[in-house]
Amino acid sequence: MGLSSAAAGDGTQLCVFDLRRGQQEGQELDKILFFHPADCPILLQLSVIGLCEGIVTFTRIFSPEEDCEVIESEKHSHVFYQAETDIWMVLVVEKNKENELTWRCGALQGILKEAHSLFAMFHGPIRTLLDRQPSAELARGHLRTFLTDYLSDFNVGKKLLFPTYRDSLKERGTVQMLTVSREVALDVQSLTTVLGSCLGNVTCQSLVLFEDLLVSTTLPPDDTLNLYTYAVLRLTPRALHSNASSWSYLRKGTSVSAGPTSSSSNGTTAGERPLLREKLSKGKDGFVAADFAATEARGAVPLTPILWFQQAEERMYLCIYQHKSLTILLLVPASSLINGEEGITHVKKQMLENASQKIVTVEQKLTRGWGGENAYHVSGYRYLLVDPERRVSRASPPGKVTTLAKDSRLALNMLRQEVDLEKSRYKRGDPCHDKDFEACIRTKNNAWVIAKISRGRELYMALEKGGETLLYASTAVEKFSNRYCEGAFSTD
Amino acid sequence: MLGNQIQGGLGTPGALSHAYVQHPPLRCDIPDIRGLFYDDANKFLIAPTADRILYWKTTLYTPSGPPNSDPVNEGPVLSVRYSLDHKAIGIQRSRHGIEFRNRETGETCNKKCRADSETILGFFWTDCPTCDVILVKTSGLDLLAYEPQSHAFHLVESKKFNVSWYLYTHESRLILLASGMQCTMFTGYQFSAGGIVKIPKFEMMSKSEANNKPVLAADDVHIVTVYGRIYCLQLDRVSMSLNLYRFYRDAVVQQCSLPTYSSRIAVSAVDNIIMVHQIDAKVVILYDVSLDSYAPVSAPLPLLVRGLPINSKQLSQTADSQSSAYGGTIYGEGWNFLIPDLICDAENGLLWKLHLDLEAIAASSSDAPSILEFLQRRKSDPSMVKTPCLAIVRTIILERRSVPTVAKAMDVVLDSYTRLMKMGGAFPGVRRTHEQNQQLGSQPNEGSHVVSQEPSPGTTVSPAVNPDQASGAVNISEQSNSGVEHSIDRGLLNINISSDSADNTSDAVDKRQQTVGEASRPLSSGTLTQHGQHAGTVAISPIEMFQSVFTLVEDEMMGDPAYLIAVIMEFLQSVSKAGLKAPHNLYVMMATLLARSNRYAEIALFVSNKILEPCKELAMQLMELGLQHPPTRKLGMDMLRERGLHHDYVTAMLQDGYYLEALRYARKYKVITVQPALFLEKAVAKNSAHNLAAVLSFFCEFTPSFKTTSDFGRYRHILSEMV
Repeated sequence: MGLSSAAAGDGTQLCVFDLRRGQQEGQELDKILFFHPADCPILLQLSVIGLCEGIVTFTRIFSPEEDCEVIESEKHSHVFYQAETDIWMVLVVEKNKENELTWRCGALQGILKEAHSLFAMFHGPIRTLLDRQPSAELARGHLRTFLTDYLSDFNVGKKLLFPTYRDSLKERGTVQMLTVSREVALDVQSLTTVLGSCLGNVTCQSLVLFEDLLVSTTLPPDDTLNLYTYAVLRLTPRALHSNASSWSYLRKGTSVSAGPTSSSSNGTTAGERPLLREKLSKGKDGFVAADFAATEARGAVPLTPILWFQQAEERMYLCIYQHKSLTILLLVPASSLINGEEGITHVKKQMLENASQKIVTVEQKLTRGWGGENAYHVSGYRYLLVDPERRVSRASPPGKVTTLAKDSRLALNMLRQEVDLEKSRYKRGDPCHDKDFEACIRTKNNAWVIAKISRGRELYMALEKGGETLLYASTAVEKFSNRYCEGAFSTD
Repeated sequence: MLGNQIQGGLGTPGALSHAYVQHPPLRCDIPDIRGLFYDDANKFLIAPTADRILYWKTTLYTPSGPPNSDPVNEGPVLSVRYSLDHKAIGIQRSRHGIEFRNRETGETCNKKCRADSETILGFFWTDCPTCDVILVKTSGLDLLAYEPQSHAFHLVESKKFNVSWYLYTHESRLILLASGMQCTMFTGYQFSAGGIVKIPKFEMMSKSEANNKPVLAADDVHIVTVYGRIYCLQLDRVSMSLNLYRFYRDAVVQQCSLPTYSSRIAVSAVDNIIMVHQIDAKVVILYDVSLDSYAPVSAPLPLLVRGLPINSKQLSQTADSQSSAYGGTIYGEGWNFLIPDLICDAENGLLWKLHLDLEAIAASSSDAPSILEFLQRRKSDPSMVKTPCLAIVRTIILERRSVPTVAKAMDVVLDSYTRLMKMGGAFPGVRRTHEQNQQLGSQPNEGSHVVSQEPSPGTTVSPAVNPDQASGAVNISEQSNSGVEHSIDRGLLNINISSDSADNTSDAVDKRQQTVGEASRPLSSGTLTQHGQHAGTVAISPIEMFQSVFTLVEDEMMGDPAYLIAVIMEFLQSVSKAGLKAPHNLYVMMATLLARSNRYAEIALFVSNKILEPCKELAMQLMELGLQHPPTRKLGMDMLRERGLHHDYVTAMLQDGYYLEALRYARKYKVITVQPALFLEKAVAKNSAHNLAAVLSFFCEFTPSFKTTSDFGRYRHILSEMV
């Protein structure tokens, strides 16, 4: 295939295209909604999208129910994700020289899925944008700024670096929860009640985060996940800190690719470019908002972003309040705020009046009980626990995972890839029946990598410097399950 | 709805009042009596005739019937006081002499003072360890000890100073001695089982113009005992205000100035509420000083007579029609206010007891938390506390008051519950030592009359040795050992130690008076046993909150489950703060409400952070709710497993078709209670000969007797047909 040799730069491409558009010969360009890198020659873009469309159409003949997930060529992998009906996102990544399996298809799909979910949360579904403006300028404009801002997180130097085997004990698309005592949980819930009543008769929704961990939510799991993801990317104290510290660096990094948009984005607000790092900061009143110091000359008023919640089926204003390590995301139903920003100001005032004391108490209690970033480390184990139904995961702290040998991590990555396949196979067979699964593999470097699925919950772990026998491995899992998972993975 | 209920409970609908006297009163209008006297230590209403002393025990709930009587010598009577053990009577015959009479032997002895230089102002019996009778004279105090055998008194000590008039209440054990030109200088002593305490000399402030310095009269000063604290109210006629002082061990501190609407006032204490009767205005104002708040409980309102036979259709009774009905005047000339809560109508020979109308008070305020607090502190009529409290909580929920308000109200109820429970547990022990203490402290010289278990009746035991003298009356001593307020209240002059707790207060004093000299006799007034009942009937447990509040409001709150959920959440927090356990059914209700609002994610959150504590009831409910929402069902299953409810877990797995997993689990935990047929049926339903064979062979191994059952034969047959 000629396209691989012609691919520019690092060879990573991300495109979004709509199969319903440009069906007439000569109008193929109309299909393309987004293409990264933006400076890629049009012909090459068309070639990539043409290939992808061809594959999608072709595989549908055999598998009308299931989407094509990935095509592997000699030097590239194309990872597919059908974000909305007939709207596809494709990520093209270059393979490394050793031809090892260094990434996992599921993990890359996770990026596409996350990017789309976040986009839909801020701008609504792409299809809606296209329907609203058939020329697609609106959709393209939003996708360009949004995805460029999103991809800036993966920028390392001039390259885009996507998750590899190093991240095999991470699960994108899940929420990490803070474990709290019952007493503190009740305090938090009491705070949630107060937050919910900031608008009077209509209940406001809220998310409470401590550091980068979720403490409570009133939203359904999918909406929680999207908002949580956004918060961890941009809003939590750590994210805000890196917003500020990486300001100049990122600007350099992104300005190249976002070139054409940066000139037109002078007046954009946080609502339009929610992922633009340098604009977000915490104000004196404790609320996090887009910083308009730079554009104040234009008399811009910071606008509160309105988000779309798919599961909750509502559009809501997002107010972000931060007190020390505590981040509160307050969501005000847009339909019940007639006077927009004025109403938001009122809600914020209400919140400060009613909840300040509780916020301080809750923050203190959480800080007191907080075990630090290694709080969930279990010595001897490197693990990842996932509950896909609740979209919750917990893993060994990243600092501990890096101590694993490369071989262990490669093996784990491979195992996870296998498990992913196995899972999708089961799903096709019997969607409502959970199938238990267990695999323990001895790696080249004499470590154990283990995967276990029990009643829909997943546990992955790597044990280095352990015993040699399989009994050792299964006892280790049993112990871990009994002590940290309330027996969820214990052998029956 | 509930508001109506509360108001509907009023004795006379339409008549607004917060305090009342209950008809019929005690009638003491016996002919030939020469005046009425009140012995506040024994709570006797005393009526002397020419040769007898008649007395009624006013602590009996129905003090009707004929009075008791004692023969006495003829002569004038200025005052009468029975000794605390009822074995002797002291009768002041004149301004110079008192006659003491032994009730058993009839022996009398006289105590006289020097007629030329001093007069006797009065006397009283005391349970102070060193003396038995205090004689108050214009020249000071005489402390006398009584020897029953010889029926003789000897002077223990004499305290010399000038006295214009004095004030003593047995409840407080406090005597105030007025002196000075305007009688505003006071010396005070407390004579209690703990010993004698001298109150620092103090002056009652009085606004006075330069040329008009009013003399303070004994009628203008009132000692009140509430919540185990001693207060004094002094009427300042110039500024028309009532000064409230509180007595501490080493100081007398003015707390505030209350307004008055009458030149004559009287003070009563009912159930730790200070009632200030504005006699001219014919209204009463209530104060609850428990939290050092001196705002009136409610607006000034008239006193009602309750229980009058109503023979007219008139709904609202004016004071006039009331008075005509009972034949006297409310706040009439003849009314004497007796300590703590009695009114003696000397003109008509009637004795009334004052009551609080808790329902009316509760209905008069919309501040639910403080009303609940107020009610929970009351104990005179437990039945009137609990039901209204529950009704109030229900009402504020139904009215959808703000969640913080409801939370505060529930906090009050639960705090009160924990406090009362704690005290309820400690009470029996306290009472025992308390009684011993009485005997030791008050009857040091009594000899053969003491109760048998008394080890050495003749010895006077010093308070320091007494382990629990704290629960007795006055506890001012530093070694007090059981008080809640020990550290704070060390300096306070209290009649008992834990002055703020609902358990103690004047009841303890009542108790004490009851036990004195009749420790072996069951108490008729109920003051002693009241504590147990009090804890049981006033306190509202979390379970009662669930049964009488949440289940009752649930149906009506269906339109807005979010509010009820928020309220229950606050309740759970209150319960947790109070260190109590919430009823499991409340978790079931919570889960149901959440599921009904489609808030399954929060169910999962609350289960994972144990806000909904794991229990079988909840697990079962989650499984039930999970029929519409599989992840919730899983939560229920997990809870069954974590709780070790093996049988239910296996059954649930079977229901969901996980029969092989269920088998494995059954083997591991030796669950033999689930019928093999259920497993076999699932395998047959799956139409898998392989699995059916596996299940069959499993049971052959697992349950040896299985091969003999009909199931074995049946499924073997089915299996043979399948292959």
